[in-house]
Amino acid sequence: MAAKKQQLGNVLVIGGCGFLGHHIVDLLLSRTISKVSVIDLFTTRNRRPDSDGVGYFNADITDISALLPIFQKVKPDIVIHTASPTAVGTNNALYYKVNVEGTRCVVEVCEKANVKALVYTSSASIISDNNAMDLINADERWPVMPAKSQTEYYSQTKAEAEQLALAANRKNKLLTCSIRPAGIFGEGDIQNIPNFLNVHYTNRTNFQLGDNTNLFDFTYVQNVAYAHLLAAYALLQTSTLSTPPLDHEKVDGEAFFITNCEPVYFWDFARGVWQAAGRYDGTEKVWVIGRDVGLGLGGVMEWAYWFMGKTPKLTRKQVKYSCMTRYYDCTKAHRRLGYTPIVKLRDGIQKTVDWFEEEKRKEGEKKGQ
Amino acid sequence: MGIIKQLLYFSVHPNQLRAIIQWKLWHDPVHTRNPEKESATLRQCFHYLQLTSRSFSSVIQELHPELLVPVALFYLILRGLDTIEDDMTIPLEKKEPLLRNFHNIIEQEGWTCNENAPTEKDRDLLVHFDCVITELNLIKPAYKAIIKDITEQMGNGMADSANNQELNINGIATIKEYEKYCHYVAGLVGDGLTRLFVEAKLANPALLKRPELAESMGQFLQKTNIIRDIREDFEDKRRWYPKEIWSKHVDNFDELFDPKNLQKALNCSSEMVLNSLGNVEECLFYMAGIKEQSVFNFVAIPQAMAIATLEIVFQNPAIFTKNVKITKGDACSLMMESSQNLRTVCDIFKRYARRIAKKNTPKDPNFLQISAACGKIEQFIESLYPSQDPKALALIHKGEISAADEKKKAEDKEAKSDVFFLLIAVLGTLLVISALMIGAAYLAGARFDIALSELQKGKFFPGHQPGGAESQNIVQNHDHGEL
Repeated sequence: MAAKKQQLGNVLVIGGCGFLGHHIVDLLLSRTISKVSVIDLFTTRNRRPDSDGVGYFNADITDISALLPIFQKVKPDIVIHTASPTAVGTNNALYYKVNVEGTRCVVEVCEKANVKALVYTSSASIISDNNAMDLINADERWPVMPAKSQTEYYSQTKAEAEQLALAANRKNKLLTCSIRPAGIFGEGDIQNIPNFLNVHYTNRTNFQLGDNTNLFDFTYVQNVAYAHLLAAYALLQTSTLSTPPLDHEKVDGEAFFITNCEPVYFWDFARGVWQAAGRYDGTEKVWVIGRDVGLGLGGVMEWAYWFMGKTPKLTRKQVKYSCMTRYYDCTKAHRRLGYTPIVKLRDGIQKTVDWFEEEKRKEGEKKGQ
Repeated sequence: MGIIKQLLYFSVHPNQLRAIIQWKLWHDPVHTRNPEKESATLRQCFHYLQLTSRSFSSVIQELHPELLVPVALFYLILRGLDTIEDDMTIPLEKKEPLLRNFHNIIEQEGWTCNENAPTEKDRDLLVHFDCVITELNLIKPAYKAIIKDITEQMGNGMADSANNQELNINGIATIKEYEKYCHYVAGLVGDGLTRLFVEAKLANPALLKRPELAESMGQFLQKTNIIRDIREDFEDKRRWYPKEIWSKHVDNFDELFDPKNLQKALNCSSEMVLNSLGNVEECLFYMAGIKEQSVFNFVAIPQAMAIATLEIVFQNPAIFTKNVKITKGDACSLMMESSQNLRTVCDIFKRYARRIAKKNTPKDPNFLQISAACGKIEQFIESLYPSQDPKALALIHKGEISAADEKKKAEDKEAKSDVFFLLIAVLGTLLVISALMIGAAYLAGARFDIALSELQKGKFFPGHQPGGAESQNIVQNHDHGEL
């Protein structure tokens, strides 16, 4: 995709003002020849300047009657569905409504509006129980975690929605596939980098939970966006074929893990973030807290802070995540989509941290005024 | 090390001593060379092999008989070539034709060379080089052709470098040049050896279709030595670190040795280590293609030493002041562990990758890249020997077996059989001891018949002195009946 810009036709990005969505819009504009439209609940944030010609539409994806007219107007060839509440801090009813019912609506509208291809943004967390289980070099053969063993309701709804999207493949003429990104971070991210940076700003970088032998995949957002473009392009190509592709080459009806292909030891990622923010401290003075001790501490903290009515600084969940091995094998995406990350991990971290520092500086200026 | 110093060292490092003793006692060569069946010239060749190579001579001598002589000669020829190239007292106009022609020279019966300076350590080999030539002319033509070809390529590569004024004055500039140098001195050896292995049908022919794998084998060894020998080479006025790397950290190469630049020097050598780590995957992949045990040991032992060396030089300030080496004990245990199979070699690599990751520090600008390089090694090993099985996970999810249940069942079963065996063992022991005691008593003349009948009469406690008159009476009565 580097040399010649690919023609993608009319592309509609659902959730195109969100964290991942607006990076997809950016990449569509810079790397492809396409007419881009966006549906989001609110289209004021992360909005491209009018000169870019992106059409913005406000709509709730759980409302078919609101979606259909927009689809009829835009006539999308490709729909990229990234809309989802953030993975933490939302109530279960909303997860179900947006992820499952929303996706059901999107699929239905795609079928009605003769969309050629639907790329669904899933999550790599759907094959984990998000509690005790390690994922060691996991690939697409790993089974999706059944609802009864899933401890994160978010992941459960993402799995269910992915199932809906993939089941719609070739039911009518629509082709679908699913992208499962692992640990997305980047400019505008509200889950990963802000937490790590916060530890740096409050000088709490000399603690380590676990022995740091657990490899973890973090993926720079532009690489995830890039994978969506590749998937969209592959589906579009497939739609022009008269016979379905061979099993080992097909993209439609398939799920793909997407990472930076650079798993690093969990705390090394954190230290990489701190280094990008200017902290070049060695690890000689770091206190290592074992997993079990950490879990005990986390439990105590949770109770104590619950009693005081505050959010604890250390939770058992955090301890489990930072001691968990979780990395994936992206060979399938490499072979079938031609995916190779376009931004290396170190560069992705630097870009992200620079962006956050800039935001912080702007914030400071505002307050100073 | 003096004997006292050694004794002191081993008394606090018993593991090291243990490894050395184990290697000496239990190491069982796959093949052993038989000097009695060898010609005089061949014995002479092995004599020079032992003189010129400390590390390779023993692994070569344990090679499969088919390859023993070709590989030994290959080593000696390249060593001869290297000795000519190394010697700065030979003028270029004499040196260049020697290097470029060496592949023909090695066929000229009786050729020897006295040109080397007396200080050149392997001078003797060239003075008696005729023995190598005699033996080379006796091996299979296919092997000889491979050796000749590599000798020609290496000789020309060396002659080109010797002629390169820019290189001689300013040293290696780019990483590309650095890898090209490593190609001529080591990558080519990997190529030649691979062709020998395949020719002898001791390695998978597919290795020839992936020449970058053999190249990496050589590159990894050479790069590791270059990183380790920085001080020694500097003293000999040689420098192999490419300017492209060191100039990022210091302005002049000499500054690396200034203690006040220690952090910069460490960062520079870490970047060299990072570059080497990039070869590891291909090395492991290569070793998967070796079929025969002695050949596997021959290739795997140096690789295991190299990853251990890389770990010991990584973030080690001592490399700028002295020669750093892995200990003899570590070397012995690595030889034990690596001369088994690919899995044990992968275990070594994973262990050392993790140790490197542990020494890795955010003070280093390449911190994250080094972590990723170690992760990549771990991931590659995981792809060879997966520790999770998606099929088993699927079964667990379906509820056909629940992970906890399965484990509990197995544990219960084990516990039950444990108890059973424990009982059998206890009872068995009791039975044997009782039998022994009863048997001993019987042999000593105990009267069980009397004891039994007394017990039947309800007399559980003898109310009399053993051996007393009353006892005698009882025995009498028993034996003769109450008449």
